[in-house]
Order: sequence, then C-alpha cells, then structure tokens
Amino acid sequence: MIEIRNLHAGIAGTPILKGINLTINAGEVHAIMGPNGSGKSTLSKIISGHPQYEVTEGEIIYDVNFKKVNLLDLSPEERAREGIFLAFQYPVEIPGVNTAVFLRAAFNEICKHQGVPEMDPIDFDEYIRSKMKALDMDEKYITRAVNVDFSGGEKKRNEIMQMAVLNPHFAVLDETDSGLDIDSMRIVAEGVNKLRSKKNAMLVITHYQRLLNYIVPDFVHILQDGKIVKSAGKELAIAVEEKGYDWLKEGV
Amino acid sequence: MLIIPTDQEKSSPLIAAVQKYSEAMGKTSTSSWLSQIREKSLSRFVKLGIPTVKNEEWKYTNLSALSKIDFKPLVSEKFSLQSEVKRLIKTDEITLVFVNGNLDEGLSALGAMPKGLTLLSLKKAWFERQTDIEGLLNKYTGVFENAFVSMNRALANDGTFIKIADKTIVDKVIHIIHVTQSAQPAITTPASYIFLGKSSEATVLETHLGHADSLYLAAPLTEVFLDENAILHYCKAQSESLKSYHVGNTRVWQERDSHFDGFALMNGGDITRNDLDIISNGEGTSSTMNGFYGVNGKQFVDNHSSMDHRMPNCTSNQLYKGILNGASNASFNGKIFVRQIAQKTNSYQLNKNLVLGVDCKVNTKPQLEIFADDVKCTHGATIGQLNEDEIFYLQSRCISKKTAIKLLAHGFVGDIINKLHNSAIQAKLNILLEPTFAALE
Repeated sequence: MIEIRNLHAGIAGTPILKGINLTINAGEVHAIMGPNGSGKSTLSKIISGHPQYEVTEGEIIYDVNFKKVNLLDLSPEERAREGIFLAFQYPVEIPGVNTAVFLRAAFNEICKHQGVPEMDPIDFDEYIRSKMKALDMDEKYITRAVNVDFSGGEKKRNEIMQMAVLNPHFAVLDETDSGLDIDSMRIVAEGVNKLRSKKNAMLVITHYQRLLNYIVPDFVHILQDGKIVKSAGKELAIAVEEKGYDWLKEGV
Repeated sequence: MLIIPTDQEKSSPLIAAVQKYSEAMGKTSTSSWLSQIREKSLSRFVKLGIPTVKNEEWKYTNLSALSKIDFKPLVSEKFSLQSEVKRLIKTDEITLVFVNGNLDEGLSALGAMPKGLTLLSLKKAWFERQTDIEGLLNKYTGVFENAFVSMNRALANDGTFIKIADKTIVDKVIHIIHVTQSAQPAITTPASYIFLGKSSEATVLETHLGHADSLYLAAPLTEVFLDENAILHYCKAQSESLKSYHVGNTRVWQERDSHFDGFALMNGGDITRNDLDIISNGEGTSSTMNGFYGVNGKQFVDNHSSMDHRMPNCTSNQLYKGILNGASNASFNGKIFVRQIAQKTNSYQLNKNLVLGVDCKVNTKPQLEIFADDVKCTHGATIGQLNEDEIFYLQSRCISKKTAIKLLAHGFVGDIINKLHNSAIQAKLNILLEPTFAALE
C-alpha cells in the first residue's frame, strides 16, 4: 500500500530523516518506536505533507485505486482525500469552527473526490453521533469548536473519532497514547481496532510498548537518528521496553 | 486637550455645509429649549472645527478630504434599497426604518407595543419628553463633547426615543435601521435616545446602511441612560456605502448595578470613526464593549472607546477583533480611566487583528489611566496572520488551503458573534458580514 524509499528530510536545513526505507502492505499494522528526537514525528508530518518540512531525497509511493502515486507530489489536502490520515500528537485547537461543520466539510470533500453524493447535515449528524458513541465521547462536543476546551484525553479521542468518520486507507497515529490514562487508552485502542481491516493499513508511532498490547502490530521498527535500525515482530517492542535503545545502536 | 483650529480649518466647506443645514431647519419657535441646544451645539461645532491629525485623539483618522467635500442638501429621491432592508426585518421584532433621516412608515413594522415601552419619534419626544432628554444632557456638564456629537445635536431633527418603564422586560428586539440614498453628497445625522428604568431590560439593534453609489457623511449619535439594575443589550451595525464617511458616537451613562452589553460591527464606509464613551456612575456596574471590524480595499476604520470608572466595584470587559484585507487600515484606541475612588475595579481589554492583506496597517493603543490602587486591569493586543498549524490541521482533513483560510477567518469572527446575547441579531450580523466573507474568496 505504501512504500517509503530512501527518504531524507529535515527542517530549516537540519537533516532529521537520513534514509528511511519502509514498506507497508494492506491489512498490516506497523509500529515505530524510538528515543526522543529520532525522527518519529517528522516522518508522520512528512507523510501528511506539513509545509515546514523539506524532503531532500527519496519518495513515498502510495497505491490507491490501482494506481501508484508519489505522495510527495500531492498537497496535504490531496493526500487526505486519497485516504491518508494523521492522528496528531498535539491536535490543534480551532476557535470558532464547529466540530460538526468542520468534519462534514472534510467528509464531503472525500465524497466529491470519489464522485459520490455528499451527505446532508441531518444524515451526517446521525453518522457522527454513532462514531462518537463508539468512542464514549460526550455528544456535546459536536457543537463545540474543534478541540477548544477539550482535555488532553478528549483531544486524542477526537482524533480517532475523526479517523472513524473519514475511514482512511492509510492512517498514521502519532503518539496517540501519550498522556492517556489506561481507561482512555483502552477506549481509543478499541476504536482503532474496530477500524482495522484487510483493505487498510496503519502506522502507529509510540514511546511505550503498553499501547501495543491493545493495538497489536504485525511489525515493529526502531527508529534511531533518522534511520530504521531494527525491524521485527511485536516482541521487539517488549525488548526495547526492558532494555532501552542503546543495545540497538548501529554496529552493536 | 482642546486644539484651536486655524481659520482655514474653521472655514472648511463641511462647516459651511453644516451651517447651511442648520439654517434650512429654521427656528423651532415652539421650544426655546430645543433651539437653544441646537444653537449652542452649532456654535460649539464651529468653534471646535473638524478635528485634524494634529489632535492626538484623531491622529489616525484623517478627515481632511471629508472637510473639503461640497455637501448639498439631502433631498429625498427614488428609494431603491427595499430588498436590502427587508431581509433584515423580522416580523416578531419592532422595526423602525429611517430613510435619509425620515421615518418610512411603509417599511417600519411596529406590531403590538409591549407594555412599559414608550417608543416615540424624536420630533415628538423633543417636546413631550424634554425632562428625560434635558435631564440626561445636564448630567454631562463638564464632560468633553467632541465636534460630531455637537454636530448631531445641532442638526438632528428626527430619530428615535425609547423609554422602558421600571421593572419592565421587553423581550422583543427593537431594531432601528438608518438608510441613506442620495445622488449628491449629503449629510445625515440619525439620533437615538434610549432610557432604561430601574431593573428593566431591553435589546436594541441599530443598523446603518447606504446605497452603494451614494457619497455621504453619516454622523449618528446614540445616547443611552441605564438606571439602577437595568440591562441593555445594544448592538450597532455599520454597513454603510463604501463611498461614505461614518463618524458615529455612542454615549452610555450607567447607574448602580446596571449592565451595558454592547457590540459594534463595523464593515462599511470608506472612512469610519466610531466612538463609544461609557460613564459608570454607580457601584457594581458592568460594561461589555465588544466589537468586530472587517475592512478591505482602501477602507479605514477607527474604533475609539472610553470607559470612565467613577465608582468602586465595577467591571468592564472589552474584546475587539478585526480582519484586514487588501490595503486597508484599522485603528483601535481603548481608554480606561479608573478614578481614585473606584477601588476594586476589574477591567479587561483585548484587541485582536487578523491581517490577510499585504498592504494593511493596524494601530492599536490601550490607554489606561489608573488612580486607584486596588484594581485589576489587564490589556493586550495581537496583530497577526493565520496560524500555519491550524491551516495544516484543516488541510490534513481534506480541506483545501483556500477553504481552510475561509473557515478560520469565519471562526475568528464567529467566536465573537456567537457570544451575542440574541441569536436573531447574530443572524442579521451574519447577513451584513457577507461582503466581508466574500472578500476572503
């Protein structure tokens, strides 16, 4: 579904990613772990197209509707319409923009892109409420401004709720578990698991192995200093949780 | 500070026009009181002259072009703005429509008058309600009156008089619409006098509109008196012709425990100057002075407010937001006086500007003069562009950059409009804001 080839990227001239190669197939969940500053969040921002980051080398080939595109050629909104989704590590507050209005605008952009009829506000309201219920979110958030006055946990749930509404092909979850208590994490993980299917794929970025007990990955990759230094099954996450990252340093 | 105008400024065509307008009104022989006020105001206006940028209070509002316009008498002609006016009228409200200063009975819709509400044309009220009006004016002895307040007093012939009886709550919105349409440059001076009795409550909206092709000077004056424990939700919406000058004054006098809940929308006019002066004359008052301005092209808007805390334990809150497009300019000046006796004053002021045009300019100036030592006063101002992270967040949710900018600008405005007390007024403001949002396209 997605193939990252020799990706080099950075911000303001400082290189962060130094040659990432990663292939993710439909139906798979991959996890990326790594110490602070290893480039995990940068990778998520580059996949979704944040304008502050610059790619100096490489490409991200994405399979959609039986065609292959280089994601780097698309604007952030075009990527999103093609089914790329980023659950933000720090969801942004948008004062004055109502959550339902915002999400319906987003949803209808996908409808337009796929050439199917748009959903009217009443049907959409029902649709969004069902998704919120599944994530145990209070319905009052529908009429509130996006993420404004949400607690940290509510913001993270809101990200997964948006993911459920937009139903992406490929989702990147950037530290969705940080700052969540165990109950919230279970709810979020359940929400994510419900969205797993043979047709989509996910990349879960996390600091903690704990999340991976709930969202069980097919592969775990360790990112260090802008490179993937080790890839293995879910047992790798347990190993780094116990031993830290030092033993994985290149050449060891 | 009083700036003595030069002879040249004194003899500007605008002053000559005001004198001519005054002559044309003739003497109101039936009320010596009224003619006295008019005469006094006219000579005061002539003495003050048109303020120039040399005057600190008018530093950013350049009226030199205005003072040179050769204004003609305002003659009624074919009126073509019926549909623009009608879409702002709701049948369950009390609506007064003034066309070129005269009440248009066809467009106005009064409906059943709620008990305790006195609604009169000023023409009548000058005579029947002299005590109320004169009583209020006398309170301002010793308070500086700017040239355009004097000009309005000298020329205002008709307008609205509202009085709410003690302990009366009027649920219906009272909507006063002022429309100007003139083929020649003209002056209009709408006036409203609003009195709220003890423990009464009312909602008043004043809308100022004009024909797109008309060049005119609108110099409205609204005087508000709030007796003990009264609450007024007051909104002024200015969407004048883009060729016009709007130099308006709103003056509010608050007695003990009263609440003035004010909002100002300014998105019309070529040059707009809007003054709001509040005097808190009793303990426990609260005053809200919120506003939004949206300017485009070469428009200029200057919001001036002054909050005079004369008594202890009072609160004032002010949030003005603005969006600037094209090569527009805006100025905000928020003055807060806290007199020595006014201990425990709690005052908050914020001015936020969203600059979308390349050649825009904003001057924002908080002006706090605090003589009491046990007060809490905060103020702040921001001038900036849209937040890049917010735009990216929306883009990552399929929304194009252009739509994202529009949504965020809508949100910037909506955040303040949605806080308005009355949803019908919110809806009207959203109609008046259409050109501002269209400028984002």
